[in-house]
Amino acid sequence: MKPALKMTIDNAQDTAAQPWHGKGMLSHPALTILGRFLILVGLLLFWQWASGSILPKFWFSSPSAVFEVLRGWVLDGSLWHHLGATLLAMSIGYIAGSTVGIVSGFLLGLAPYSARIAAPFVTALYSLPKIALAPLFVILFGIGLESKIMLVAVTVFFLLLYNTLDGIKDVDPDLAEALEVMGATRGEVIRKILVPGTLPWIFAGLRIAVRYAFTATILGELIASNSGIGFLIDYSAGQFDAAGVFAAIFILVVVSVFLTEVLTRLEASALRWKN
Amino acid sequence: MSDSKIELHSASKHFTAHGKQIAALQPVSLAVGQEDFVALVGPSGCGKSTVLNLMAGLLRPSSGHITYDGRELNGANRAVGYMTQKDTLLPWRTVADNIGIALELRARYVSRKERDDRVAQMISLVGLSGFEHHYPGELSGGMRKRVALARSLIYEPETLLMDEPFGALDAQLKLVLHDELLRLTRQRQMTVVFVTHDLGEAIALADRVVVFSGRPGRVKVIKDIPLGRDRDVFRIRFTDTFCRLHEILWEELKDEVRKGTDA
Repeated sequence: MKPALKMTIDNAQDTAAQPWHGKGMLSHPALTILGRFLILVGLLLFWQWASGSILPKFWFSSPSAVFEVLRGWVLDGSLWHHLGATLLAMSIGYIAGSTVGIVSGFLLGLAPYSARIAAPFVTALYSLPKIALAPLFVILFGIGLESKIMLVAVTVFFLLLYNTLDGIKDVDPDLAEALEVMGATRGEVIRKILVPGTLPWIFAGLRIAVRYAFTATILGELIASNSGIGFLIDYSAGQFDAAGVFAAIFILVVVSVFLTEVLTRLEASALRWKN
Repeated sequence: MSDSKIELHSASKHFTAHGKQIAALQPVSLAVGQEDFVALVGPSGCGKSTVLNLMAGLLRPSSGHITYDGRELNGANRAVGYMTQKDTLLPWRTVADNIGIALELRARYVSRKERDDRVAQMISLVGLSGFEHHYPGELSGGMRKRVALARSLIYEPETLLMDEPFGALDAQLKLVLHDELLRLTRQRQMTVVFVTHDLGEAIALADRVVVFSGRPGRVKVIKDIPLGRDRDVFRIRFTDTFCRLHEILWEELKDEVRKGTDA
């Protein structure tokens, strides 16, 4: 079986190296965008047609109904209110959690002995699914902003803590030695070797953490809240308003694509030396 | 030897790997005088690099001790410039920023302006003009070596430790850099310990050649090279003295090299 599998992989690589379709009209960038646009329009048209004919409209809604809901939210300002609430909870939790995570990562990374003492506790908390803490945070901090902030911060904290620790371990100790021989103090070795050497890991952690922060915020809002996109989903679902649920999910998609795009660009410009 | 810069007093080194002790260096006694240019040659695995690491204070001897300027070494030796075999360039810094890094440190701080001037000087010295703003990942192995050389020369340490610095370079460039190295180290009265496996290179550059025996390393023979300080590295290989020294030392080295390849 194994050789056969390998053959398949090799063939796949060959195919990738020499595209069988050659450079036809299909490879033009503008046509790529047009193709994507057509697929999107096709899907929406199918959805519009299908709902009410082959799918029950009550459960599946339709693009036009979803659009109406979105328009209503924009016009009465509730979109901005809820989006604002979600983004506020998410960003405060994200900034607080990642800052504390990075700082703790450096503190533990630079004090290997304390790190070894703390390791089992940190691991135990890390392996705990953070969402299980959500009800606790609701009891402690209420259903408002604070409980979401805490949930996001705790989630993000561990991601950044571990990425920073791994990053520090990944820095070549020979680089630090080279600088020491030149006469660098410990502080200078940290500033000029350890921190920049760990940055790629921290950036990777920050990027992954955005998704987690977003998910944690929405989950927190779904569990108990009085505003936010998660609240909109939960509220609409409670009213059996399928169009409202889809509209809120649509907002989520737009926001998460936007966030990922911004972070990818930031990372690319900060780590030019990687390529 | 009161004017010795670096002294090894029966310094040995062994490592522990998988519970077994592996001797890297048998007790070695060696004195490097002020402004000496000493070349260490020997087969691979003979502990030449270990000797440099001991002199740089990055390794502690398992027995014996090492003095620098008469004082026992304790921790990294900040009086030396150390060009390791593996270049330790910082991948996130450009060529120019890598070369100038020593001058950013508080211990060797100079103004931004002076640093830029000296970096520019070093860059043209090692023939890297036009690559100032490249990252190490974009350079060939030979170019990276030249950056590492410039980085250790720029702060004019009184002693240079070099571990096969020119191994990856082509023959012509190697000669040019040999010439520069001799000129600079003479002019700045530097002490140099130079590790190489190329006997010709050792004789062409050094005042003294130390031949190491194969694993575990120990000093086999030490030979003065009476070729003078104002030698011309471009022609020296054609002189009789060079050929005779090469023959004598090769006799010492060839058994070790053979032993090394058998092992």
